[in-house]
Amino acid sequence: MAKAGGITNAVNVGIAVQADWENREFISHISLNVRRLFEFLVQFESTTKSKLASLNEKLDLLERRLEMLEVQVSTATANPSLFAT
Amino acid sequence: MTVSQEASNYDEVSMQKSMLFSDGLKDLKNLRMQLYSAAEYFELSYTTDNKKKIVVETLKDYAVKALVNTIDHLGSVTYKVNDFIDEKVDEVSDTELRVSCIEQRLRMCQDYMDHEGRSQQSLVIDTPKFHKRYILPAGENLTTTNLEKLKYFGSSLEDADDWNQIQNAIRATIRETPPRPIRKSTSQTPPPRQPPQRSATFSFTSNTPKNEQAKRSASPNRFPLLRSGSFVTRKSTSISRPTTPSKSRAITPIRYPSEPRRSASVRVAFEKENQKETEQQQPSKSKRLLKALLSRRKTKKDENLYTFLDEY
Repeated sequence: MAKAGGITNAVNVGIAVQADWENREFISHISLNVRRLFEFLVQFESTTKSKLASLNEKLDLLERRLEMLEVQVSTATANPSLFAT
Repeated sequence: MTVSQEASNYDEVSMQKSMLFSDGLKDLKNLRMQLYSAAEYFELSYTTDNKKKIVVETLKDYAVKALVNTIDHLGSVTYKVNDFIDEKVDEVSDTELRVSCIEQRLRMCQDYMDHEGRSQQSLVIDTPKFHKRYILPAGENLTTTNLEKLKYFGSSLEDADDWNQIQNAIRATIRETPPRPIRKSTSQTPPPRQPPQRSATFSFTSNTPKNEQAKRSASPNRFPLLRSGSFVTRKSTSISRPTTPSKSRAITPIRYPSEPRRSASVRVAFEKENQKETEQQQPSKSKRLLKALLSRRKTKKDENLYTFLDEY
């Protein structure tokens, strides 16, 4: 009887250990995927920031050029005698 | 109508895209709240409920589904964000192109205005007009052939009288300019002691009659041009003066200050040629002299002449 009780206890411990390993494996998988998701989000943030920065530079340059064009056009329209042939 | 329809379609598509993007962002926000609430629920149920195994299994399933759902949401949102940014970059590049086009047009307008103004100003200004200059190359004379050539090249001077005027002007300049020292000859033989040119001409003119002297002063070959240092002219001058007494005069030609310098080999060859000619001319000169003496004295004193010839 004692032997039988010891064997069942050992079997239970073994089952519990296996379940624990399975849980650990599951958690590691989940944590790995979350880390991958985090890395993707970080990379996305950096690329988006660089893209936005370049876009901002282009917009600034464009704004300056447009301002210069506006000034030139305004000076040209202010002196209509320049266009007189 | 088609343009308005296209515009309405474009607006509808853009509106749908923006609505989907905003829905995705809202789902992400709700997902965060759902995950927090689910985590709290499973914690409470695991502590209070007896059926812990079932709770753990349901928690696992929920975590997997939540993770997949989150990744889907994040993927869709990031894709939309990327698409939106690329679209804006394209729009900015298009706008840059348009601005550069406008700048180019404006620059062209400015250039055209500058050109027009310049042309107007250039019509006002009177540009000075200069006469053409004709420079003969070294070693050429102003002969009739050269005149024809110059006429062919489109010179405005058509008559020979004009060229004579030019020659007179050049002669005047030659007379005024002081002569440079004569270049030393490079031949090995010591140069003969040459008397000054003035004295040589004086001795020559003293022997010639006055009529001949007047003719020579009027002849253009007496004062050759600046660039008349050719072989042909020198030979002609040496041949036209067979009665030159001094040998050195025939050997060393007269050099003018502005005469172009030649190489030593050419000059030496020329001098040798002149020496040969003078050597050939020496006996003929003596014969001519004798003949002239005979013709003169025959009429006056024949007897004295015969005695002179016997003595000679």
